[in-house]
Amino acid sequence: MTELRLTNVSLSYAHRQGFGALTTTRVLQRVSLALAPGEFVAVIGRSGSGKTSLLNLAAGFVAPSEGRAVVFQDDALYPWLSARDNVAFPLRLAGVGRDERRARAAELLRQVGLVAETDRAIWELSGGQRQRVGIARALAAKPDFLLLDEPLGALDAMTRERMQELLLAVWQTSGTGVLLITHSVEEALFLGTRVVVLAPDPGRIVADRHFDFSRRYLAGEPARALKAAPEFIAAREALIAAIHADEAMTA
Amino acid sequence: MSAGEEVIGVAPVAAPAPRPVRLSPLVATLLTAAGLLALWLAASSFGWVSPVFLPHPAKVLAAVGRLVGAGYVDGTLFEHAAASLGRVFSALAFSILVAVPVGLAIATSPVGRGILDPLVEFIRPLPPLAYLPLIIIWFGIGEGSKVLVIALAMLAPIAISTAAGVRSASESQVNAARSFGAGRLAVLLHVQLPSAIPSILTGIRIALGAGWSTLVAAELVAASRGLGFMIQSAAQFLVTDIVIVGIFVISALAFAFEALLRLVERLFVRWSGHH
Repeated sequence: MTELRLTNVSLSYAHRQGFGALTTTRVLQRVSLALAPGEFVAVIGRSGSGKTSLLNLAAGFVAPSEGRAVVFQDDALYPWLSARDNVAFPLRLAGVGRDERRARAAELLRQVGLVAETDRAIWELSGGQRQRVGIARALAAKPDFLLLDEPLGALDAMTRERMQELLLAVWQTSGTGVLLITHSVEEALFLGTRVVVLAPDPGRIVADRHFDFSRRYLAGEPARALKAAPEFIAAREALIAAIHADEAMTA
Repeated sequence: MSAGEEVIGVAPVAAPAPRPVRLSPLVATLLTAAGLLALWLAASSFGWVSPVFLPHPAKVLAAVGRLVGAGYVDGTLFEHAAASLGRVFSALAFSILVAVPVGLAIATSPVGRGILDPLVEFIRPLPPLAYLPLIIIWFGIGEGSKVLVIALAMLAPIAISTAAGVRSASESQVNAARSFGAGRLAVLLHVQLPSAIPSILTGIRIALGAGWSTLVAAELVAASRGLGFMIQSAAQFLVTDIVIVGIFVISALAFAFEALLRLVERLFVRWSGHH
């Protein structure tokens, strides 16, 4: 199994307004982040702190890489394919035979709790169901690291909580490493074995802490009780303070 | 109601206002057609218009019978229609084979766009009658030239709609495929081309319209069969009833294929609009 390692990465975008001079915006400044196999790292930060740029780098959209599969906020499914064929898509690219990929896709859909929906059209599914298809599709690629770009951002609160629990179950059974980008501090804290805080202008890591709430959930503690525990709330407030630390200085 | 009177039970409700008569689109269409037919009937029955300009509907109907049976200028109506259909669909097949790859190249490669986009924009506004003489000089008066004249009118709409369709694949749909190891060709075949299909179908519908409207120009080129040829021959001798039949047949054929394509869209690209 490989590890996912970014070392001293800086990223700038060049852009030009009208016929004006070319200006560059630095979105990431000397960021180093390494994920051990099987680790669940959640990245939080204000808008513009370079969270998605970090994920794009990790995914290899900027420079090629292997062993990573991405789940997108807008689900990025293919509406001309059924749920099953969407999940089978990475297998098809890998040259897996038709019967085998159909069987494996059905099994993955079962893992994310979609059985009746196997042969449904994508556009007949709800937002939460679509994200489950996206997760199953990413798992089909047997990635070493699953990269999640705010996959739960567009879901309602109830669905979101159920999906968080599903993500932890999937993480446990698949053993894959996870890099999750999220806006929700509570989500990062509940899911991540490690939470990384990015600050903007330019994007840099300002905090990097380890937590064990996800492991405690998987060991049987109820999710709601965990999220209401004093140590959870204290950790949440500390992370929120870290997110806004530089803001207080400039304000 | 006088004062002191007690109202028991359900309070009186104003009678529902009579629903305004709503015309369904189909009824409106049928009424329009019937109105135009009546106007035509009146114009030729009462002699408002000379029969040379506008023959009586009955005469046009009789012309249909004559065309189906004996034919006109060496061909029955079916033979003329078959010749024209053959040309329009040869041209369509040719344009799809050329314009879909052109559209893919425009949408996926900056160099492809640099080379092909100006060419597509160059031929797009040209009236067929303008390039007809050149086609004859370059390619002669054979069947190929007729097909080419029609195809030139069909290329641009298909190429442009293909390019637009390819761009309708979202960045994350493309990135997802890339993260699963798809190269440029696989992304094109498995993501961009399928997502372009609804748009390509729309392009084909527009192209067929352009193709039918180019038919008469194409059949100016030494044709001996075809609806356009039939119309022109009849026009030279002021046989207006044949001209009118020709117009109706072209219109009916175009309408039938438009309906067929819409059906294909409904059956096979139900996901369209559900991105």
